[in-house]
Amino acid sequence: MIQLQNIEKVYRTDTVETQALSQINLDVAPGEFLSIMGPSGCGKSTLLNIMGLLDAPSRGEVRIGNETTKKLNDKDLAHFRNRHIGFIFQSYHLINDLRVLDNVELPLLYRKGSAGDRKRLSTEALTKVGLSNRLKHFPTQLSGGQKQRVAIARAIVGKPSIILADEPTGNLDSAMGNEVMDILLHLNKNEGTTIVMVTHDEQMARRTHRLVRLFDGAQVQ
Amino acid sequence: MWSINFSNHQAGTSRADSLMLILKGVKSQLTAMPGVRGVAYMGYNTPYSNSMNGTGFEYDGKKYTSMDYQTDDDLRQVLQLEMVKGRWYSEQDAAGKRRAVVINESLEEQIFPLGDALGKELKWGGEQDSRVIVGVVKDIKHEGDYSTPKPGIYQRADTGFYGWTGMMLVRVDPSVDAGFESRVHDRLTSLMKGATIEIGRLPDQLARKNREMAIPLVTAGVVAAFLVINVALGLFGVLWYNINRRRQEIGLRRAIGATAGDVSKQILGETLVLTTIAVLLALFFAVQFPLLHVFGMLPGIYVTGMLLAVLFIYVLVFLCALYPGREAAAIYPAVALHED
Ligand SMILES: Nc1ncnc2c1ncn2[C@@H]1O[C@H](COP(=O)(O)OP(=O)(O)OP(=O)(O)O)[C@@H](O)[C@H]1O
Ligand SMILES: [Mg+2]
Repeated sequence: MIQLQNIEKVYRTDTVETQALSQINLDVAPGEFLSIMGPSGCGKSTLLNIMGLLDAPSRGEVRIGNETTKKLNDKDLAHFRNRHIGFIFQSYHLINDLRVLDNVELPLLYRKGSAGDRKRLSTEALTKVGLSNRLKHFPTQLSGGQKQRVAIARAIVGKPSIILADEPTGNLDSAMGNEVMDILLHLNKNEGTTIVMVTHDEQMARRTHRLVRLFDGAQVQ
Repeated sequence: MWSINFSNHQAGTSRADSLMLILKGVKSQLTAMPGVRGVAYMGYNTPYSNSMNGTGFEYDGKKYTSMDYQTDDDLRQVLQLEMVKGRWYSEQDAAGKRRAVVINESLEEQIFPLGDALGKELKWGGEQDSRVIVGVVKDIKHEGDYSTPKPGIYQRADTGFYGWTGMMLVRVDPSVDAGFESRVHDRLTSLMKGATIEIGRLPDQLARKNREMAIPLVTAGVVAAFLVINVALGLFGVLWYNINRRRQEIGLRRAIGATAGDVSKQILGETLVLTTIAVLLALFFAVQFPLLHVFGMLPGIYVTGMLLAVLFIYVLVFLCALYPGREAAAIYPAVALHED
């Protein structure tokens, strides 16, 4: 599904050069639930951004579904992300001025489709995460766990084949974290969605198919 | 065109009719000079002068006021006034028992909307003094290029006129040299004993009048430009601030599939929607002016003004939103989403 070949990422600022990733070779199989662990600053988010085509590697190649992504321009990349990838972030990144339903609709706004379809699909997605009774709420009226479930609904509303989650339970207590984890496991199992999740929690990582450990930008396991 | 002012003329007589004969003699002497194309006496309110003269009269039981120009028979030819209908007054009107007058189009429109002014009589203070309209002329801008012509009446000089006037208009050949003015000056001094002669040029007077009219316009324009610049900078700043506040939102939109074009379109669109709301609100207040007839202006002027203002506002807003919109489109999702 996702193939990373000899990925290297170097951040250059005026004064320093940071080697965030080096020699990463990783193959994520379709339907796999992979977790990534490692100390802070080891390059987990960077790796996820590269997988999600939000950032380009300094060297190496990202192949998704056996196709190279090198030749895609900015617009193609945006369309590709919209169709195939769902993102979940530690800090949710919901838009506070929009109601829950409108937040979930966002990815569909960048596709063709009627307002009615958008509403139906968003309601469906929110039902899957157990929030069908919060459609008209604003994000500020929700608990952290509920916010993350809205974010999951937004990630799955477009029916992507891949979900990339960067510490989705990082801001949640263990009960709410488990709820979120259950939803992800359910998605993986019942809908066959490929999931790559960054986590600091061994407990969570153990519930996934495979664990990859990073240290200082390199894969150690 | 010159306007010549003469004062302290010691004519040696105080009788109006002999004064008239003397001044008419001066005029024919001056007209005979090569380089002079025409001469006409008129009251002090020559075109572009700072002098104004009004009169009041009645027609059909209604009172009217207008500008009052007392002139001799040659003014039309000297100023090259354009007749719309009828004729200018002439020597033949001296015999008539009613004085001959010519009105301008503005005045005709006011008193005779049907355009049937010719032959009508206007009354000055009672039945005895009625004057007959023999012609209608095109309006001229007596107060400069930026003025609106006022209703006006041209009245044929009577004998008494020569007792008080001190102005003549002279049309001279465009090819006359610099020495010509002093020759005319010398000639007039010798023809009118003791008189002080001042020669002014109508184009200069027009330019001065135009400058006077332009000063408030230019001042208002500078103030308006200053305000517009302030508004534009403010708008620019607000949009800029707004985009920086929304970096994460924009980063998120980029991540979930918005292209750079989508983002800048969104910023422009939001700004234009806000502008439209503001413009509608402002128009609601602006239309009260013509509806309530606050200023005596034609509805067409208001409509044009509003359309131009709206257009200008949209262009300004568009320009102010363009750069922030581009800046928003350049936000890099991987970086913006990382900021907390
Ligand atoms: N935009 C950037 N410019 C420069 N350096 C960066 C940038 N983003 C990340 N880095 C650096 O790259 C390295 C990896 O960062 P990354 O965010 O991937 O770490 P992480 O493993 O996700 O850490 P955490 O667990 O704290 O989220 C760090 O040393 C970081 O300072
Ligand atoms: Mg991270």
